[in-house]
Amino acid sequence: MSRILLADDSGTMRTIIRRSLEALGVTDIVEAADGNQATQLFAAGGFDAVITDWNMPGKTGIEVVRTIRQTDKTTPIVMITTEAEKTRVLEAIQAGVNDYLVKPFTTDNLREKLGRFTPVA
Amino acid sequence: MIADYINPFLLSTASVFEQMLNTQVERGQPYIRKAFEPQFEVTGIIGLTGKATGTVAFSLSRETAMKITEILLGERPNEMNPHVVDAIGEVTNMIAGAAKARLAELELSLGLPTVLIGSSACVAFPSRATPISIPFDSALGKLVVEVGIVQ
Repeated sequence: MSRILLADDSGTMRTIIRRSLEALGVTDIVEAADGNQATQLFAAGGFDAVITDWNMPGKTGIEVVRTIRQTDKTTPIVMITTEAEKTRVLEAIQAGVNDYLVKPFTTDNLREKLGRFTPVA
Repeated sequence: MIADYINPFLLSTASVFEQMLNTQVERGQPYIRKAFEPQFEVTGIIGLTGKATGTVAFSLSRETAMKITEILLGERPNEMNPHVVDAIGEVTNMIAGAAKARLAELELSLGLPTVLIGSSACVAFPSRATPISIPFDSALGKLVVEVGIVQ
């Protein structure tokens, strides 16, 4: 069973993504409401993958990725964001994200992205 | 020129409804607004800045707003509560964000979405911007996306 860290400052978006994850059989989901909380939770360990937004107060999603990658090179990170420009995608990949999902998205889109790294239904 | 701005919002609105709400929208004829009259009771607003500035407004009825919230969050709201406000703000953000990606040459950034509730609310667009209204119909109800951009 996968344990996912889900970081997004929008409670609505966290609920939307949580519902998609649950539809994919992922129920062990820890939510972070901003970037600082995300890095603190990640430091405690035990996550199989991270899903993060880009635009968040405190640390941005890119800063979250860079912070995680200072100590962890392997845990898969998927960014889910409205930032769809090629330069943004490139910036995220260079920071260390493993995959990138642009809003709006479907549960099938999330399955395709997350399923590369962790078991999903 | 106006079509260059409007088409990305036509596509982004259809995409958000199809992918996030599993609902098809039927586009009406876009028109230039002659006055800042209110459209519907609930309006999500987001500002755009970059090589152009502008405002995007996503307007719909309370009932349509609550139906959208129910689909997104899985629970039917009993009233216009903060969950409905957040849900409409998020949909507005996605519509503007997906359109922004199609206007990459303008290097736009999005502001934080604001949601107005009440039929007396008016949306003031940037001066010199000619707001274009794009009406849509859907199984969830009628809605309007309004865009005013100055380059």
